[in-house]
Amino acid sequence: MVASTVRRVPEHTSPAVNARLQSEAEARLAYYAVHPHEIEQRLRELDAEWDVERAIETEAASTILLGLGLGWAVDRRWFLLPVFASAMLLLHNLNGAYPLLSLFRRLGLRTQGEIAAERYALKALRGDFERVRKGGQAGESRLWEAFEAARPHAP
Amino acid sequence: MLPNTATRVQAKTAEPINVEIDHVTAGSFARRAVARPEDIDDGIRQLEQEWDIERTLQANFAIVNLIGIALGAFVDRRWYLFSAAATGFMVQHALQGWCPPVPIFRRLKYRTASEINHERFALKALRGDFDDIGTSGSQGNPNRGQQALRAAQRA
Repeated sequence: MVASTVRRVPEHTSPAVNARLQSEAEARLAYYAVHPHEIEQRLRELDAEWDVERAIETEAASTILLGLGLGWAVDRRWFLLPVFASAMLLLHNLNGAYPLLSLFRRLGLRTQGEIAAERYALKALRGDFERVRKGGQAGESRLWEAFEAARPHAP
Repeated sequence: MLPNTATRVQAKTAEPINVEIDHVTAGSFARRAVARPEDIDDGIRQLEQEWDIERTLQANFAIVNLIGIALGAFVDRRWYLFSAAATGFMVQHALQGWCPPVPIFRRLKYRTASEINHERFALKALRGDFDDIGTSGSQGNPNRGQQALRAAQRA
């Protein structure tokens, strides 16, 4: 089964670690709810935050290069290492599981989906969506109001 | 200095293509937004499933790499160099946001997670997920933070 892009990593994380990431995000949101002038700085941090995919790509590619180098120069049995690492990357890609996932998650690496949830919660706190509320303007202009309000990054 | 995780692919895409993808997002959003409310729910779920460019590149890389190693083992050792080059580009992509397939996939309109989230959260705003958050009268209440996060996480 091919897993959902947004859910594949949380589904392969222990509930305790998911709960910890969630409560940390809640604590930050509680802080920014009473310090709204600091929200913009936090949004910039979220844009820069390394997500779990970027970490896996860097780690997997390094492991593969190491295996290829050892296979080329030392013993060809080392070529099994890049085969294994590539297969694990494909497994992660389709299903979400990955041998080092629990380590990366414990280190606090989040998915783009989790980072986006925090980003848009902050945008809502800042009042970005106030003009989109139901009962306000109707029809096409509300639609494009929502589209502009949901732009993820400051230009 | 390494570029931001969330914006690094857009930063390495030719601006006309970014603009074109923005138009694709706007068109897709407009189509989904005028649907019946239950179809908007479906649209939001579909966007959670959509393969972003990161996932596409990862699958592409893992498969190309496995083929390269197999050809190296069974056809000609020099194919290992092909795998090594692909892996080098994967490191470059993870760190900088560019590798040779990026321009191809971008022209094929593969979106970044941020671009998909733009559409997804615009639909959520339109659905009214953030209606209770933006009330400026309740500013300074830390519970608003948790409320905003829950609203952002609603599927």
